[in-house]
This record gives sequence, C-alpha cells and structure tokens, in this order.
Amino acid sequence: MKNIETVLKKIFKLAGRVQCEVLVDHKDWALTRFADNVISQNVASNAVNYSVRLLDDGRSAKVSFNQDSDEALKKALCSGLEILKKQKKDPALLPLPKTRPLPAGQNLYFKETAALEPAWRAERAGELARACKRAGQVACGTVENGSTELIVANSLGLLARYRDSSAAYSVTVRDRDGFGWAERTAFDADDIPFAELNETARRKAAASRNPKEAKPGRYTVVLEPQAASDLLAYLCVYGFGGQLYADGRSFACGKLGKQVLSPLLTIEDNALDGGAPGLPFDFEGQPRSRVTLIEGGVLKSPVHDRKTAKKCKTASTGHALPQPSYMGPIPLNLSVKPGRGTLADLIKGTERGVLVTQFHYTNLLKAQTVEMTGMTRNGTFMIENGRVTHPVKNFRFTQNMVEAFKNLSAVGGDAVPVGGWGLMSCPPMRLDNFNFSSSTKF
Amino acid sequence: MFKLASKAIEIAGKHGADFGDIRIVEARTQTVAMKNGELGGLDDQTTLGYGVRVLYKGAWGFASGSVMTERGVADTALKAIAIAKASRLLMAVPVRLAPEPAYTDIWQTPFLKDPFLVPVEDKLAILSRADALMRKSKKVRVTSSEMNFFREHQWHMTTEGSRIEQVLLHSGASMTATAVENGQSQLRGYPCSHGGQTLSGGWEIIEAMNLEDHAQRVGEEAAALLSAPVCPAGTRDLIISGNQMALQIHESVGHASELDRVLGYEESYAGSSFATTEKLGKFRYGSPIVNIVADATLPGGLATAGYDDDGVKAQRWHIVKEGVLSGYMTNREFCGRIGQKRSWGCSRADGYSNIPITRICNLSLMPGSSSTAELVAGIKDGVMMENNVSWSIDQKRLNFQFGCEIGWLIKNGKKGRMVKNPTYQGITPEFWGSCDAIAGPAEWRLWGVANCGKGQPGQRAMMCHGSSPARFRKVKIGVHG
Repeated sequence: MKNIETVLKKIFKLAGRVQCEVLVDHKDWALTRFADNVISQNVASNAVNYSVRLLDDGRSAKVSFNQDSDEALKKALCSGLEILKKQKKDPALLPLPKTRPLPAGQNLYFKETAALEPAWRAERAGELARACKRAGQVACGTVENGSTELIVANSLGLLARYRDSSAAYSVTVRDRDGFGWAERTAFDADDIPFAELNETARRKAAASRNPKEAKPGRYTVVLEPQAASDLLAYLCVYGFGGQLYADGRSFACGKLGKQVLSPLLTIEDNALDGGAPGLPFDFEGQPRSRVTLIEGGVLKSPVHDRKTAKKCKTASTGHALPQPSYMGPIPLNLSVKPGRGTLADLIKGTERGVLVTQFHYTNLLKAQTVEMTGMTRNGTFMIENGRVTHPVKNFRFTQNMVEAFKNLSAVGGDAVPVGGWGLMSCPPMRLDNFNFSSSTKF
Repeated sequence: MFKLASKAIEIAGKHGADFGDIRIVEARTQTVAMKNGELGGLDDQTTLGYGVRVLYKGAWGFASGSVMTERGVADTALKAIAIAKASRLLMAVPVRLAPEPAYTDIWQTPFLKDPFLVPVEDKLAILSRADALMRKSKKVRVTSSEMNFFREHQWHMTTEGSRIEQVLLHSGASMTATAVENGQSQLRGYPCSHGGQTLSGGWEIIEAMNLEDHAQRVGEEAAALLSAPVCPAGTRDLIISGNQMALQIHESVGHASELDRVLGYEESYAGSSFATTEKLGKFRYGSPIVNIVADATLPGGLATAGYDDDGVKAQRWHIVKEGVLSGYMTNREFCGRIGQKRSWGCSRADGYSNIPITRICNLSLMPGSSSTAELVAGIKDGVMMENNVSWSIDQKRLNFQFGCEIGWLIKNGKKGRMVKNPTYQGITPEFWGSCDAIAGPAEWRLWGVANCGKGQPGQRAMMCHGSSPARFRKVKIGVHG
C-alpha cells in the first residue's frame, strides 16, 4: 500500500487527543469459477478498507470506510468523534495496548503467486475440464489467487504489518450420479498438486456412481482431512474460544488439566511455525503465542485476547479479533499432531465403517457439548473387512463432538493444510460409534 | 455519478463487448449493539466503489474498483475485458442475455423516518433498557441487543441504454438472552435470533417491534428453558411458527428453485437442486394447499426494489402453485434454458465488488384459512416450535434438519408444557406434502433473512419470507446426538 503512513498520520491527527486504533486491510484478488466444463464466472477485486476505533475515557466508537481522500477521512473521523461523545462510560473498556515485540513469523508472500493472470487460472481449469469432457464427466470448481496486506496501528505508536499471498484450487467432478471432490490451499501456487487433485476428484466421482442405500445408525467413520477438520474446527472454536470459556459456556470449563478426549488427540494453535501459519500478531497488534489446546486428550488452555484474559485472570495469548468482538478470541491456526499410517492404513484397520470425503452444511446444535449436524458429500463409501466395498447414499449426522473425539481410535500420519474458519493442518482420522441420524436420496 | 459510469460503457463499446454494465454503489451500514449491559459495538461503515461487468464474444469478465476517477473506472473496465478474453479459453456456447427494455428511472424504498437521523443516544437508550429487563432473570448470563441500519445508493448503467438509480433502505433489530446453569445454556430471542428481524423501511420498523415490551419475557423464557424437559424423540405432528417458517421456506424452496443451482452452476460450493427442470409444471412439491410466491414488489421485503442488477423490472410469480413446482428464480443469462423469454429479475450483487448472481427473491407461503388455535386443536400428539437456532440441508436441498429456540408439547388438542432443544428432520417434498393446514391472513407476517450466503467468492444477500403458522403431519422430531 502506497502512502499508508501518510494516511495513518492524517487519521491520528484528526482523532486529536482521543486514542485511535486503525486496521487497514488491502486485498488484491481474483477468482475463476467453472461449471459444466466451462468458465462460468471470472472476477477480480482490488479493495482497501480502513477501520478506525476511537476510545476516550471509557467510551468507544468505530467508523469504517474505503475512501482515503482528505475530505473522506475528515468526514469519517468527525462522524466517529461525534458518536463517541454521546455514550455512557464503560468502566470495563480497556485502553489501547502499547507496542510489544512481535515474532517474525514465516515468509508467506510469494509475488509470483500474487501476480498470476486470468489466462493461468483458465488453463488450470481447462486441464481438468477437457479431461472430464473426454471421459463423460463434468468438472466444476474454482481457481483463485491474490494477496492480502494487513496493518494494525494505534496512536500510542503501535504499528504491525503483515502480507501474504494465496492460491486455492477446489474441484468437484460429477460422473452421472457419482461425485468426487478435492481441494488445496497454499501461500505459494507451486505447492498445489493440481494433477493429483484432478485425479483424486475424477477417480472418486467414478467410484461413487450407483450408491447403495445404507441404514442410518452408529458407525465407525474414517474421515479424510477435510471432513475431520470441519468437526475439529467447531470443537476448538466452541471449546477453546476465550469468550465462551469466560462465560461458562464451553465444555472445557472446570475441566482444564483433565483427560476428556482420546489420548490420540493433540492440537495446538500456532500461527508462527506450525503447519498452519498465518498472522503473527492479533487484531490489536499483540504477539500471537503458540497455545496447546489439547495434549494427549487432556484439555490444556483456551486462547485469550486482553479482555477475556483479564476476566479469567491470565495473560492474553494474542488471539484478538477486530474489536469489539461478539465472538471473542478464537483459534485460527490449528495444527493437529499427526499419528501414524496413511488413509489406506486407517481403512485397512476398519472392520465395518463409512469413509467420508467431506461434510456439507455443518452447524452447531448445542455449544456446551459441541453437538452438531451436517451431511456427508462428494464421496461416501462403505468399508467392510478393511476395504472400501461400495459407495453409499449420503448420511446426515447428529453428534456430540466431545463424545465423538473421546471415541477417536486412530490418527493418520499425513497432515495437509485445510481452509475453514482459518487454516488447519489436519491428518485423516477414525472415530468409533459415530451417529448417522438419517440418510438422503442420493 | 452517471458521468463517471459512462466511461466504463464507452470502453466496453469501444472494445466490441456484446454487453457491458457498471454499478456504482455507495453503502452505509450503522450497527449499534449492547452486550451484558455495556456497549457491544458502535460501528458506522461506508463504502463507495463500482463493479464493471463485460460480456465479450459470449464470455463474462468482471472487475471492481474504488478509485473514483475516470482513469480508475477505465482501468477497471479494461481489466474486466481482459478477464472476459481469458474466459473465452474455456467456453462452449456463447452467453446470450434475455432481452429487457432499457429504462431510465429512479426508485427508492418507501419509509417514514430516516433511521440515520435518529440520534445514536436514543438507539442506545432503547437497547440499554431492553438489556436491563432481560437481565432481571438471575440465570441470564449473557444478553445482547442490536440495531442495524443499511442504505445503499446504486447507479446502474448498461450498454443497452439503461440508467437506473435506486436507494434501498433496511432497518432491523434483535435481542437475545442466554441463561446458563450447570454447564448448560439456553437462548431465547426477540423478534428472533441470527441477527434479528430486518425489513425494508425506516425507523418505524424499530418502533413497531416494541423491544422493551418483550425483553423481560425473553429473559424469563431463556431461564425457564434450562429446567424444561428435552423435546422427546419420535414421529409427531408439528406446528411451525415464528421465523422458523421463514428458514424452512428459504432453505427447502428458495435455494432449491434458483435456476443457476438447478442447472449445476453452484455445484462446486453450495450444491445443486432436486427440483430439476423436467419437473417444472408437473412435480408435486407439496400438498394442494401449498402456494409459494416470489415477489420483488412486496412492501417491506428486503429483496424489494424497482429493478434487479441485470436491469430487469420487479415482478411477482409462483414458485409452487397448489402444491406443484411452477417456476424458478431466474436471471437474464439462464432463463432461456427453460424456454422463458424474460427473466424474473433475480440477479443481485453484494455491494460494489461482486458480480450479480441469481438470488432468492422475497418468497412467501400464502396464508390459508385456519388459525393457530385450530391447528393446535387438530393435533392429538405433537409439538409447536418457534424461532430458528440451527439449520442444515443437503446439497440437493432434500434432507434437512432444523433446531428451534423453544417448543411446546401439544396433547389432545391443547398446547402444554415448554420443551427445550426441539429439532426436526425431513425430506423436502415429503415434508411439504404433509402440510395439511395453514393459518390465515390475520397471522401472516414477513420475516427478514439478512445474511443469506451464496457463491464463490461468497456473497451476502437479503430477502424476506412471509408466512403464517402451518401444520405438518408425522414429522421426525427430537433428533439428538
């Protein structure tokens, strides 16, 4: 971002004696979407957004805008200052934080990835679409790339800057009534194995044709990384988010240090040097810490921002979302400790169960036990005597996740990065006694 | 603004585009929130920018920008053309848009009182009083209340000659109380949770909600739910009321009838639909009393506007007529695929930076001739459920599960004990087929959905669903994990 320091100075000057925090978010990004073996949407966006929080003697207000002319800045700040005057004092409101040393984090910006052109995205989509067309299959998906820059600054002198590039490839292949899916997200487009993902989605679509009906009920499930991460994200956000913990609404309340989940489960939030890296500071410019949430099934620690840390009489772990936040701090860079063996090994060790590629439309039913529902999607298969025997029609699950991860019986050795609430490095897993409450027609 | 917009139209024309348009959008959103008796947030957000869409030799390109100069607009238009040229690398049949007359018009949401002119301290005072009333119940641990106001000023210009200026205004509010005891929590909201109730219009919408009149009850019901029995599992009759009916319509009819989904263009993300085109005019979607109508002209509707983002004038049509699938949500690109000569006008974009896609219009279950009292009287063993807390549906919109805030058992025609964690599951056409009574016009009301997500990149859209309480027979109820 050009001239950002100048814009920040102008904002602080307009704020005058009032404490002022600025988040600047610049996203330059493009996405090519394809369906029915052709490009269906092809878009690009370049946007800078400013969010300014003003604090004065227990009062706060926020203004957000995307125009940074002198006139626009003056209008926005005057409006914010006017709103600020008209409030009651909040004695619990924290003043802005001072500068603290920040960890360097990893280099996650690759300029070649940020600069990839629409022709490159069209070619990636074309490779799959042409192969599918030849085979009587239908390709759908997205190819995207771009860059993000985030700045957190405040009038006490804090200035934290972060930049990354991103690329993502997601494909769904339909083969008559069969569906297959594969996806990978990366900071460097060279880390995306396009051919392997294409092969996986196409093979899975062909293998899932003519699915048979299977009775809902309790099954052992082998979850591919995307499916496992979908459930674990809820478990970690609703179990280890500092606000829910402070409110007494998390299953971890009163159970820290206790064995609640399977001894095979270890998860940390680590934006710095883990398998799911990211922003090395939070949205108040505070350093992100590495936090072990679960170690060998023992509940260890929630993540905190300054507000929830104060309430829980502990230190912030540097997990603040943009303030004020209704949700409170949540873990966004989760790494699940891999176990041993491949997905094939997990299947081999399963006498009777269901292999799940992906879950769809998952949602929370009860926060305290992380009871959830959702559907299987894009490749659901029966496992009998250690091998995949046939595709089955999709199931709906209704399951308490605390119980589900007590019943974790195997963790695979190969973790892959999976997108979702944030980024998660997740291996495949096997859960016993998982509740499929109904099935659907396909 | 049209002078600035004309630069994009000039460039699209100069480069031989089949079609081009630009939407300049200035949006303002104000959120005022209380949480646990303290200020939860006071955010005033403004954005100004434009999106340029180009159809070049049958292929789409779209780019957005926010540099409000002729040079900025020109660069963005050229980027859209370059992207459209890349789209041609993977194209089968050129896109052709269904015809629509060119319009020069101004349209504005009708309202009585501009909510942005109501002082912030007045808004905070209402929320503060409501918050305190909710916390009168000692078991209530978390309270939140919020007001949201949204104004969008759009200037839409096309190479076909349309110049449409629209100002949309939405107002909404909500409050929720969460009671916590022994590791259990229960939530109750008014008018509903999930960001609350939003409609098109001004401050009069907030006044009509009378938040303070309901606050104490909301807190008390949240606390009472803690000791209520869990909704029992089994196959029972069901009455759906409150905003749950809106979610039922939204998920099992609204998304299922979006023609882009039906044709497979959403397969990679949200999925497709069981309501495929060969079923149009024949498929029994529900019982003969089920009439579901889309209406972009509906007063108060969040999808109500003069024109959609394809420049198509607002219309009203049936999606389900006397229980039969009778129409789809269409745009100018896809309506010809089902032999429709004109789009129904369902193309909408989220803000300036997104391309218009097919969205659910205001979609309502038409009232019947019954009443809630009569619905209850006709049940031997059943449950009444109100207000959604959880929703999930498969990618063809068949198998769904919903959870509600609160339920009441019905025994031998009488509404009885309160139950907590009520849920139900079903298969869309079987479920609507089991609808045997709908309350009448006196109980019909409009519910806003202000956060409908769709598309890649993800876009948010707003729409309303009108309904009165309805009765469904032999539903799978009380599914727990």
